[in-house]
Amino acid sequence: MRSKTFRESYEEDIRIFQTLWVRFWLVLFIVALLSLPLWADPYIIYMANISGIAIVAALGLNILTGLTGQISLGHAAFVALGAYTTAILATSLSMPFWITIPSGGIVAALFGILLGFPCLRLKGLYLAMATMSFGVVVEYAVTHWESLTMGVRGISVPAPSFFGFSLGDPGKLFYMTVFFVALLTIAAKNLARTRVGRAFVAIRDRDVAAGIIGVNLTKYKVMAFAISSFYGGVAGGLYSYTTAYLHPENFTLLLSVEYIAMIIIGGLGSILGSILGAVFLTVTPDVIKNVADLIGHRFVFFQGRYDEEWNVAVFGLLIIIFLIIEPTGLSGIWSRIKTSFKNWPFTY
Amino acid sequence: MKRKSKTGLMLLACVMICFGVAPNSESAEIRGVTNDSMRIGMILVKTGPVAALGLPEGWAIQDTFNGINEAGGISGRKIDFIWEDDQFKTPLAISAFNKLIFRDKVLSILTSGGTPQTIALFDQIDKHQVVNIPNALADEMFNPHRPYIFIIGATYETQIELMFDYIMNDLKAKDPKIAVVYAETEFGKKGLEAARKRAEQYGLKLVSELVLNIGSVDASSQVLSLKKDNVDFVVTCNLVPPTITFLKTAEKYDYWPTTFGINWSCDDMVVKACKTAAKNYIGVNCVGGWADDTPGMKRVREIAKKNDRDPAKMLTSLYTMGVGVATVYAEGLKRAGKNLTPESFKNGLETLKDFDTGGIVPPVTYSSTSHAPTTMSRLYRADPDKGVMVAITDWRTPKVIKK
Repeated sequence: MRSKTFRESYEEDIRIFQTLWVRFWLVLFIVALLSLPLWADPYIIYMANISGIAIVAALGLNILTGLTGQISLGHAAFVALGAYTTAILATSLSMPFWITIPSGGIVAALFGILLGFPCLRLKGLYLAMATMSFGVVVEYAVTHWESLTMGVRGISVPAPSFFGFSLGDPGKLFYMTVFFVALLTIAAKNLARTRVGRAFVAIRDRDVAAGIIGVNLTKYKVMAFAISSFYGGVAGGLYSYTTAYLHPENFTLLLSVEYIAMIIIGGLGSILGSILGAVFLTVTPDVIKNVADLIGHRFVFFQGRYDEEWNVAVFGLLIIIFLIIEPTGLSGIWSRIKTSFKNWPFTY
Repeated sequence: MKRKSKTGLMLLACVMICFGVAPNSESAEIRGVTNDSMRIGMILVKTGPVAALGLPEGWAIQDTFNGINEAGGISGRKIDFIWEDDQFKTPLAISAFNKLIFRDKVLSILTSGGTPQTIALFDQIDKHQVVNIPNALADEMFNPHRPYIFIIGATYETQIELMFDYIMNDLKAKDPKIAVVYAETEFGKKGLEAARKRAEQYGLKLVSELVLNIGSVDASSQVLSLKKDNVDFVVTCNLVPPTITFLKTAEKYDYWPTTFGINWSCDDMVVKACKTAAKNYIGVNCVGGWADDTPGMKRVREIAKKNDRDPAKMLTSLYTMGVGVATVYAEGLKRAGKNLTPESFKNGLETLKDFDTGGIVPPVTYSSTSHAPTTMSRLYRADPDKGVMVAITDWRTPKVIKK
C-alpha cells in the first residue's frame, strides 16, 4: 500500500504527473477516449463532442473567474465571436478548420482585450454588469449585421476537412474536438503553474497586495481577459462545426449562466473542475431522464411523470447545494476521495 | 525527454488508427418497425421561453396517435411515440435527433424542431432517410426540393399577400396607409420583405416599418408613431403575446386601425386577452377555426375534450395544426401499407393529392418533385363578444398580379 507522497523540492510539488500511477491511469483514459468512436453509438459521440466544447469554454471562464477572480457574464459573447468568425471564414473564404478555429480564438481574444481595458477598475457586481452588457451588444450585432452574419436567417457551416479528408461525421469530428480540448487543457494546466498563473491567483486573492508585490495589474488582468476569450472563441469555432448551423438565439445570457454553473459545480480555479463541471452539466439532463424512465419501469404510478422542467429545477438545486455544502465543487470532492485513499487507514 | 516522446508517438499512433477505422453503425434491418409496432419520434419544444407554442401542437399529435392506437393502429401496427424536448436550442435538437435515430431507433421523426434546428439537421435527415414535417414555414425547407421534408401550412409570403389582397379587393381601400410592425425574427423579417414586395406590386409604399420584439410589454412608441402618421392598416408579423401588447396599447391611445396578424398570432387567445381592443383584428391562418362547423374541426374538438385539453388555456390554432399534421402523417403511414420503410412512407405521402382533412388544414398535395406547402389560407376576424376568431373567407390563394 502506497502511503502519502513525499516531495523534496518545489519542482516535484508542481509536477503535473505526480506518480507513475497517475500516468498509467491517464494513458488508459486516453486509449479509452480515442477508441470511443469504435464502440460507442453516434449519440454518445455527439454528447462527447458537445462536452468537449463546453470543457474548452469552461476552462476559459475558469481562467478569468476562478483563477483571476474577474466575474464574467459575457462569456457566451466570446463563444459567439469565435463561432461566427469560424463560420464566415469557412463559408466565404473556404478556409480549413486549422485556420478558422484559431482565427475564431484570436478574434475573440482581441475583443477580450478591448473589453479588458475598460473593466480594469471594475469589480464584483459592476464587472458582472459590464460583461453582461458586452454580451448584449454582441448578440445585437450578430442579429443585425446581416451582410456579415446573415442575422436571424443563420449561417450553414460546411463540414471541416483535413487535406481533402472530410471530418463531417460525428466520429471524425470527435478527434478534431479531442485535439483542441487536449491542447487547451495542457496549456491551461501549464499556465496555472507558471508565473502568469500565480499572478492571476494573487490578483484574485487581493489585487492591492498583488500590485504591491510587483504584479502588473493592468497587464495581467487584460491578459486574463484575452486568454479566457481565446478559449471561448475556440469553443465557438468547434461549436459552429458541430452544430453545422449558427443562429443568434444560440448565444444568449442563459449560455453565459450555464458556463458559470459549470465552473461553480466543477470547482472554481481548478482545471479538473472545469472538465468535471462541463461534462457533468452536459450529461446531467440525460441522467435525470434515464433515472426517471428506470423508476417509471419499476413503479407504474411514476410512469410518464417526468417533465423536462425537472432539469431546470435540478440545476438550480445543484448550484445552491454546491455553493453551501461544497464550494470547492466536484474537483474538491474528487481530491478528498483521492486523499482519503492515499492516507488510508489514517484520516489525514 | 525519451519517455515523453515515446508517449507522444503512442498517442499519435492511436489517433491515426482510429481515423482509419471510424465505424458506420447503420444496420440493414428496418429501423423502428416490427410486425405489430412502429416507433415514431418527435423533437418539439416543451420547456423554455417558447414552450407555449410547442406544447399544444405536441399534445395534439400525441392525442391523435393515442386515438389511432385505440382504434387498432395503422396496418396492424401501433404507434410507439417518443417526444423529445429541444427547448428551441440547436445543440439539444441535434442531440435529440441522434438519440432518436441511434438509441431509440425510430422509423421517422415527425418534427425535428423549428427552422434553425431543421436547417442544422438537413444533412442528417437526408442521410438517415428521416421523413418529417418540420414546424417551420421557411422557403429553405422545400426550395430546393428536399426528399424527406414535407411542409404543411402556408408561407409567410402567401399570408401577407392575402392580407394586401383583402385590403385592396375586399375592403376596396383607396390609397390605404399601410405600415408593418414586426419582430426581429426569421418569420418577422420574411413577413416584412413580403409586405414590401406586395405593396410595390399594388403600387403602394409602406408608411413605416417598426420593430416590436417578442417579450415587449409596451408598444407606446410604435402606436404613437403610427397614430401620428394616420396609418389605417397595420400588418403585424409576430407571436401572440406582442400582438396582444400592441392591440391593448393601441386601445389605450384610442387608436383603432385594422390590424392584421400572421398564423402565429391568429388565435382565439388574442381575442380572449384583448376583448374589445381586438375588435378590428384580422388574422390569416392555414388551419380551421376552433368554432368551425366542419367535420375536421368537430374531430379536433372531440380529441381535445377526450384528453382534457382546455381550449381556454392553450393556443387552439396550434392544437388544430398538431391534429392536422398527425392526420396527414398517419395517412402517409397508411398508404405505405404493410411493407413499411422510410422509402415506402415517403412514397405514400407523395401520393397525396388534394387530401381532405375535413377543414383542419387546406387540401394537401405532394408529388415526387415537390413537397411545398399549399398557397391557401383563410382570413379570420375577432369576435370580442364570443372571444373567438371567426372565419370571414373560405380557403383562398393570393391574386396573381402581373407587372
